[in-house]
Amino acid sequence: MKKAQPWIGLLARLILGGVLLVAGYLKAFTPDKSMMAVRAYEILPIWLANVLGIILPWLEIGAGLLLIIGVGIRYAAMFGSALMVLFIIAIAQAWARGLSIDCGCFGGGGTIDPSQTKYLEEIIRDIGLALLGLYLLRYPVTKFALEKTKSHEQPTEKLTPGE
Amino acid sequence: MSSKTPKGPGNVTRNLVIGMVALVVAVGAIFSVLSNKENTSAALPSSVSQEDGYGIVFNGDLTGVPVIDIWEDFQCPVCARFEQTNGDYIEKLIEEKKAKVVFHTLSFLGPESSLAANAAACASDENKFLGFHRAFYQNLPAENSGAITTDYLIALGQGVGITSDKFKSCVANLDYKGWVNNVAASGGKANVNSTPTVFVNGKEIRRATSGADLGDYFDPAAFAKAVEGK
Repeated sequence: MKKAQPWIGLLARLILGGVLLVAGYLKAFTPDKSMMAVRAYEILPIWLANVLGIILPWLEIGAGLLLIIGVGIRYAAMFGSALMVLFIIAIAQAWARGLSIDCGCFGGGGTIDPSQTKYLEEIIRDIGLALLGLYLLRYPVTKFALEKTKSHEQPTEKLTPGE
Repeated sequence: MSSKTPKGPGNVTRNLVIGMVALVVAVGAIFSVLSNKENTSAALPSSVSQEDGYGIVFNGDLTGVPVIDIWEDFQCPVCARFEQTNGDYIEKLIEEKKAKVVFHTLSFLGPESSLAANAAACASDENKFLGFHRAFYQNLPAENSGAITTDYLIALGQGVGITSDKFKSCVANLDYKGWVNNVAASGGKANVNSTPTVFVNGKEIRRATSGADLGDYFDPAAFAKAVEGK
């Protein structure tokens, strides 16, 4: 199990990072649509939803890149998990309030026909992604990461202060 | 592969990567924010009113009549359906001066929507917006298929009797590109989250709640009732 951990971590990095990168990329260049997607959740004041709709795709791209390259894994994983938890809350409240929207996760978004909503799938997917992020938080040592993260679990190296 | 890489260079690479990623994020986000800002110095087509969300206004001088705001995207098939359902009625309302009608041409579906919105504004300068609007939806090409080009839009204009060189250069040079962005920005402020979205006197008409339900959008009688309030 110890041996498999870094490989599982690699997989987690690539999946979570890949999904974030693709999701961000698909939205970053269609800001009108992305703003619309955030507004459709009807949670945030309109101006804030519009700001978030523009900026969020770029943050997703950033976190995705860090995870794939393997730098600042814990911070990127923390951000990714937190984001997924927020998405789950947002989607769940839309579902509970009877809105019919597309999550707008990979572009698209906005109000859609009630028969086309996919709330359950969206939530299950985001739970999976949040768990991958949590796994990386717990076991940040992974294969082929640019940055050699030291596990807090097994301090094999001595800490050398002041270096 | 040793896990004991020297710390110094590793840190430099790490910081370099983080710095580069942060730069990409910051530049991208700032660029997006700036390109989405309303540009108050943009050229406006005739019959556009800034107070009406940069929409193309018909019968703007009338008072005491219903105000219909139509938010659409030229590439949206459901907008074509709305036009086919209610287009005749709306044109009649305009002709008979029974309503103030404002068309807001959004462009969130892709670059070809912007081309079409720009061309519609050019057509508005020739007093041919309605004809162009109708002809466009009658021949709606597949979304973002590359079919909507300058030549296509000019030919479409000719089909509804616009032959001036001014129209051609207006379409080709994207004279109203800034205006198209302003319409998009005002759609954000008006909380329009799908197309078509239609407001009568500032209130959205009833949207269908299930597949079989037509709502006010696709039932001509229900739409007329929503407009006339009877």
